[in-house]
Amino acid sequence: MRRISPLERLRLFGRAGIDVVATLGRSVLFLVSALCGRSRAGKPLQLLIKQLFAVGVMSLAIIVVSGIFIGMVLALQGYNILVSYGSEQAVGQMVALTLLRELGPVVTALLFAGRAGSALTAEIGNMKSTEQLSSLEMIGVDPLKYIVAPRLWAGFISMPLLAMIFCVVGIWGAAMVAVDWLGVYEGSFWANMQNSVSFYDDVLNGVIKSIVFAFVVTWIAVFQGYDCEPTSEGISRATTRTVVYASLAVLGLDFILTALMFGDF
Amino acid sequence: MSAEHEYAIELQGVSFQRGARSIFDKVDIRIPRGKVTGIMGPSGCGKTTLLRLIAAELRPSAGDVRVAGVSLPKLSRDELFDMRKQMGVLFQSGALFTDLDVFENVAFPLRVHTQLPEEMIRDIVLMKLQAVGLRGALELMPDELSGGMKRRVALARAIALDPQILLYDEPFVGQDPIAMGVLVRLIRLLNDALGITSVVVSHDLAETASIADYLYVVGDAQVLGQGTPAELMESDNPRIRQFMKGIPDGPVPFHFPAPDYREDLLGRG
Repeated sequence: MRRISPLERLRLFGRAGIDVVATLGRSVLFLVSALCGRSRAGKPLQLLIKQLFAVGVMSLAIIVVSGIFIGMVLALQGYNILVSYGSEQAVGQMVALTLLRELGPVVTALLFAGRAGSALTAEIGNMKSTEQLSSLEMIGVDPLKYIVAPRLWAGFISMPLLAMIFCVVGIWGAAMVAVDWLGVYEGSFWANMQNSVSFYDDVLNGVIKSIVFAFVVTWIAVFQGYDCEPTSEGISRATTRTVVYASLAVLGLDFILTALMFGDF
Repeated sequence: MSAEHEYAIELQGVSFQRGARSIFDKVDIRIPRGKVTGIMGPSGCGKTTLLRLIAAELRPSAGDVRVAGVSLPKLSRDELFDMRKQMGVLFQSGALFTDLDVFENVAFPLRVHTQLPEEMIRDIVLMKLQAVGLRGALELMPDELSGGMKRRVALARAIALDPQILLYDEPFVGQDPIAMGVLVRLIRLLNDALGITSVVVSHDLAETASIADYLYVVGDAQVLGQGTPAELMESDNPRIRQFMKGIPDGPVPFHFPAPDYREDLLGRG
């Protein structure tokens, strides 16, 4: 095995740092080029609708099923704790606040990164490796406008909607467990929720979070596909990077946004 | 005839580097108008890079690439996309859009660049598919086509907008003899029938030499030689001789550089 001198190690470390900065720069230019200006080819609305179906509608199943189960688990766990204080009527309030403020946007973003994000990376990476992107360029069509932009907009639009659906079905799942199964009084369940959930502080902040996550996750997914090495190994590495980077970015940003929105300073 | 009209593509002092490695060093290539020009050389010598420089998918580190007298490195992104309507490229893989059927693949350039009515688009697509012998396959999806058929559909798509220049990237790789024969015939036929300029980048010597009017042999970041196929076959240059006659050892060595064989065997332990 080749031995690496300390100087060579330092050089490789520096090289890696330069590569990271260069990739960040490329990703910003990529985003600006894709979103600014109008596409001169194809019908943008049709392309967007097609992608909204692929990215949003096709993610509905995983979002709805996960939402119901997470809501049910939250209700069950919450009930077990609250019942010992005689406050089981507050389970609706607890579930709604948890879902709207945190779990709705965050879990939707993580599921979206795994389902739609990885698919976007693999699809664009495959287009690159089979020279479809080069082919578009040679036909005189900008792939940034024709392929990338509709996918970016579809992600930006669909993820906040998916997060809202996640919260709604989560609350519905919680009501099934708490009210129908565990016998919490229905009036208290919904009234407590209604009294404690603020539209601006809870609902709107949750939507803002999901918009930020949508932007970051879709950007990472599409860029990784476009920038990947055009081989099967390259595509598989890029897909892994999408899920890892997007998940870390979502969790990191969630802390920052939570501190800004709900932090007392 | 002036030089501007005689040559469809001119590379003047073109250098291109990838990292620290020099792929081309001050290369001059002139592609005559209306002819089939072959660019040949061993694998990895940068033939496809050269094609991508001509198509302005890559920018040269130095020098100029002129197509129809227009300097490509100086064009803006939008001007470049307009310029590319005059060029067709046949990629090695065919590069068909996998979500579109054969008809829609060929119709794609017409749909995005013209306002033609649907009936006229259909007529043009049928004519282009008839030219490559695949009119009967218009409803098939790309994954239902053989490798040779994919390239023929891609060829029909490349000529959909009646380009002035057609660039072929390794068109014969991985083809059976029949498909290869069809492609060889089509390249020559389309060149002569449509009066276009064809550039064939390939390392398949017999096929390329059989249709090319003029050949360039590239290697070591340089143009090693140029001329008609017959002239190159008689060349005294050892690099060209090795390539044209397929000699396994010569200026391009059989062995990858390694320490002395005896020392390597005995020095261990």
